[in-house]
Amino acid sequence: MIDDETLDRQLREAVPYINDDGFTARVIARLPAARPEPQWLRAMIVLGLALLGTGIAYFLSGGGSLVRQGMVQMADFPIWLLLVFAFGCGLVVGAFAIIFAIRKTPEVRDLTRLDF
Amino acid sequence: MELTDADLVARVLTDDDQHAFGELVRRHQSSVRGLLRQLTRTDVALADDLAQEAFLRAYKNIRSFRGEARFSTWLYRIAYNCFREDARRRKELVGVDEEQWQGQLDPQTVDPGLRHDLMHALGLLPLHERTAIVLCCQNGLSHDEAARVLDIPLGTVKTNVLRGREKLKRTLAAWAPN
Repeated sequence: MIDDETLDRQLREAVPYINDDGFTARVIARLPAARPEPQWLRAMIVLGLALLGTGIAYFLSGGGSLVRQGMVQMADFPIWLLLVFAFGCGLVVGAFAIIFAIRKTPEVRDLTRLDF
Repeated sequence: MELTDADLVARVLTDDDQHAFGELVRRHQSSVRGLLRQLTRTDVALADDLAQEAFLRAYKNIRSFRGEARFSTWLYRIAYNCFREDARRRKELVGVDEEQWQGQLDPQTVDPGLRHDLMHALGLLPLHERTAIVLCCQNGLSHDEAARVLDIPLGTVKTNVLRGREKLKRTLAAWAPN
């Protein structure tokens, strides 16, 4: 009698590879349309939250007095310190922009294999 | 560098990338269609319709794929559910009983060639045994994975595989030339 191993091998070999013959194309054609990105909704939410945050910060800081004091103090800083501060802020914002861009670009993400 | 199934699923999830899903279909269409052809007893048209339905369901429900099992195992489960629902609709969810099985063992009625005979014998197995054999022996799923696909206890899968194997071996022994 045929043994298990031979039977399993015969079973595996008995299955031919089925050529695609347009099957994938037919499936893709029946897929529902890609979900439209609600970009405007996302933008409105971000803008709304930013305005809300700004408003809260304004009232919490005593009607902007804290900001005014800060501006006055910064005006007393030496110019090189302000330049260093601006440069540092630019670096931080740039780094976040790059990370965000990589996350949004599958080709780059797969290339770098970064897992954020 | 070839992307893994998990990478492609991630693309579908994050970017709704239909090309990535197309690649998944291309990779797995043969095994899914093969499984359904076995389940439908080589009704190619029906099997392909069910396979299309299975892939469409997979796309719509891809967020429920958590990556705990292989993507192929998850696909087999969807395909098997499609088959069961269709069979229920057609009221055909019955296997070949033992008498019918024995009655069809006449060596004169089968095509020559071990492989051909094997596929014929496979088609005569009761549905639950045939499904277990196709998943475990042909598609290389573990008993545990097959149990998940079929949503039945592990012990039942093992029993079905064992019984199916024994029947196939008996059949092939009878057909073997002396």
